[in-house]
Amino acid sequence: MSIRSYDVVVIGGGMSGLMAAIRLSQNGRHVALISKGDPVCCLSTGCIDVHARADNPMDGIRKLPESHPYHLVGEAQIQKAFENFIDIMFETGLPYSGNIQANRRILTPLGSAKTTCFVPCTMLHAQTQSNGYIHVVSFQGLKDFYPSYITSRLKNTGFSVFDAGVPTTIGIATRFEDRSFLQNFIAWLKTLEIPYGKIAIPAVLGIDNPVSIIEEIESELDRKVFEIPTLPPSIPGLRLFRALKGFLQAKGGDLFWGKEIASVEKLDHQIEAVTLATSGRSSRVEGKAFILATGSFISGGLFALRGNTVRETVFDLPVYLPGPRDTWFHEDFFTAGHAIEQAGIQIDASFRPRQADIENLFVCGSILAFSEVMKYGCGHGLAIATGNAAADMCTRHLP
Amino acid sequence: MIKTDVIIIGGGATGCGIARDLALRGIPHYLIEKNDFAAGATGACHGLLHSGGRYVVNDPDAASECICENRILRKIAQKCVEQTGGLFVRLPGDSKLFRDRFLKSCEEVGIPAEVISPTRALDLVPTLNPVLEEAIKVPDCSIDPFRLCMLNAVSSRNTGGGILIHHKVIDIIKEKNRCVGVKIQDQFSSQIKEIRARLIINASGAWGDIVARMGGSFVPMTLSKGSLVISNHRLTNLVINRLRPPSDGDIIVPNEAVCLAGTTSIPVSDPDTIDVDPAEVDIIASEVESMIPAFGTTRLIRAYPGVRPLLKAETDDSRAISRGFRIIDHKNGMFSILGGKLTTYRLMAEKMTDAIIAEFGLKTPCTTAEVPLEGQEELSGYPLSKRLKNLDDIICECELVTRKDVERIINNIGTKYIGDIQHRTRLGMGPCQGGFCTYRALGIMQEMGRLTPSESMEVLTAFLQRRFKGIRPALWGDQLREEQLVEYIYLGLLSMEQKT
Repeated sequence: MSIRSYDVVVIGGGMSGLMAAIRLSQNGRHVALISKGDPVCCLSTGCIDVHARADNPMDGIRKLPESHPYHLVGEAQIQKAFENFIDIMFETGLPYSGNIQANRRILTPLGSAKTTCFVPCTMLHAQTQSNGYIHVVSFQGLKDFYPSYITSRLKNTGFSVFDAGVPTTIGIATRFEDRSFLQNFIAWLKTLEIPYGKIAIPAVLGIDNPVSIIEEIESELDRKVFEIPTLPPSIPGLRLFRALKGFLQAKGGDLFWGKEIASVEKLDHQIEAVTLATSGRSSRVEGKAFILATGSFISGGLFALRGNTVRETVFDLPVYLPGPRDTWFHEDFFTAGHAIEQAGIQIDASFRPRQADIENLFVCGSILAFSEVMKYGCGHGLAIATGNAAADMCTRHLP
Repeated sequence: MIKTDVIIIGGGATGCGIARDLALRGIPHYLIEKNDFAAGATGACHGLLHSGGRYVVNDPDAASECICENRILRKIAQKCVEQTGGLFVRLPGDSKLFRDRFLKSCEEVGIPAEVISPTRALDLVPTLNPVLEEAIKVPDCSIDPFRLCMLNAVSSRNTGGGILIHHKVIDIIKEKNRCVGVKIQDQFSSQIKEIRARLIINASGAWGDIVARMGGSFVPMTLSKGSLVISNHRLTNLVINRLRPPSDGDIIVPNEAVCLAGTTSIPVSDPDTIDVDPAEVDIIASEVESMIPAFGTTRLIRAYPGVRPLLKAETDDSRAISRGFRIIDHKNGMFSILGGKLTTYRLMAEKMTDAIIAEFGLKTPCTTAEVPLEGQEELSGYPLSKRLKNLDDIICECELVTRKDVERIINNIGTKYIGDIQHRTRLGMGPCQGGFCTYRALGIMQEMGRLTPSESMEVLTAFLQRRFKGIRPALWGDQLREEQLVEYIYLGLLSMEQKT
């Protein structure tokens, strides 16, 4: 058996786990991050929704029910968490921008407007409020993108279709990493003679270097260019994930990727170690403290059984449930906020799980009870704020 | 105004069967269906071609009809029937007396029934509960009701019969107290047409009384809701029945890549407002789990209710009502055909058409038991290996439906309905239940100019609502995860209109 020891072991490689692990590294702690696979964050738009149901996210947060985990973080710490996030992203080379006091509305593949707060620089010009001309570029055979949805809904738009030779977002994004492909694309764009306005392209402009690709297109065409997020698998989500993961590694965090936790060792009121399920010899990862960031149902942090039961899948912590199964969902698909979204782990002011009697475990992200991330449109925002806060609480706890 | 000899109301198996029988006997006719083919009980059943075993103890006459029609359909509708065979399994505690009566009745009725040991049964179906006491093998089969209706309609179309789907009968035209025609409305354009005929056949199943009343009469019916659930795996290659008197959750039927399990039986009054209750899903899941334990941990991808249009009886227990059928001559130019089941649809059509022929003073004999269904050779889509031939441009990853398949259906039938594409290609029938591919299919319809973008948004909205209704009663485990993803895509990423 291989044994590794850390100050803190973070379980869950999504937004909240990555943010917590990075924050702990910034606080000078030796961190391990365990993830059973690539996170749900890779399926996301890459935008950071902080509170999408209000014009001003901070106002929205203030008006949230008392039980909402944002309140445990507190306004000042929320602001600091996002400042930290912006700094981190700047350092990774995938800068984000936005204003915590004002949401923006960006163009979706349906031509509707998605409310969000912080966006990657590739979507800086994606705001739908302006009335200027938008020329949409699509790609031959791309099955999740139909430009007519946009051009029919928005006035003053047009579209053209480019044949990239592959029909998938990842395939096209990989091609954009190739300079000759990019130059062909730019040459084709020039033939369109787009007279004015902006150019909108599905989010496939390279995987690792979108910033330089967009800059090159903009300078060659002398038009503003922005990306439209696509259905999963989504390149901006993948970029965000890869940037944060790379940043953590650069700060000295160790990754245990593709590993599931087979058993948990507990002594008195402390978690001592977890054992990872591996095909060869087993490995034991010890920590002075642990952070649980395994997400909600979609990520597998919570699992609902047929009876009226929901399990927390790593530590079997007590789970808050809003009621029996027949009350979990509204009848209407379009009414945001099904009751089941309230399910999760209840924590105290120091981000420790309630009624679990464990002193060195801290919880963050959408696994938290009452987080209701769909209802409020606050998934990544809550992950950043609570990831940061749980890491700080954990740091304080450590000797 | 159109004139014909016979108008058939209802595009389920019975209506389509009558259309084919009339076509083969050379009688001009029109079939009117307000939705798509098989939209009522025909499409909402478990797709079982009965051996008769299910009814053999309580209703030997119905069982006898079943085995006879089972043999005929295996011959004439080869491409609709998968000859799976079926098992009746006896679990510890199930009555031996019932088993003895079952075997005796099978012998009397002529249903081949072979007792096999638990070991043999487990060889045939390794997922069976190993505690079973014994099993009885019968010739149950799996049948595709939608395909069956479409093929019956082919014969009718080939001889000039009119098949109008997505047309609703809004009134029955009467002259001197006699039904002489129908007013129908195109469900897409809202345009109204009139068709006149010598006879009107009410084959509208659960809507039978509603239609009969438009013609000034009524039919005595009992409606019984039967709910079913679909698993995302084909857990068994044989139909598995519980060897006990009919009750909830006693059957699971393999169907292409999935299984259909059911059923329940609850009296209802209105066929248009039925829902599956989460408690029904629990009952079916736990009962079927006792026959096939893996069913308890398998994703259930949808639950749906069907309405059995049963003959009115004195008893309160809808399971005790005969599954036989009846033809009623309203003596006003309209006949109603009631009751019956999918397995005996052809026999029902034969008897109904015999009555029509007699009414017209003719003697042309029925040939539907001998002539194979036309159009079977053109069928694609089954088995799966056929679909694997062309993997370019897959639109529906769950069921391997390509862009070309979708474009072909749109061109062939010129449809504006997403359901028409789903039924004909299996698009959206897999584990994600159309969560991804419906948006794509609508995008293609829009590109082909069949739908305007705003129509397409309306269809997408209605589809998502309907889809959620089917999934909601069975949301736990991995299916709940999938649902959160779909919710994220449409409400989060695509920001479709939200109510708060």
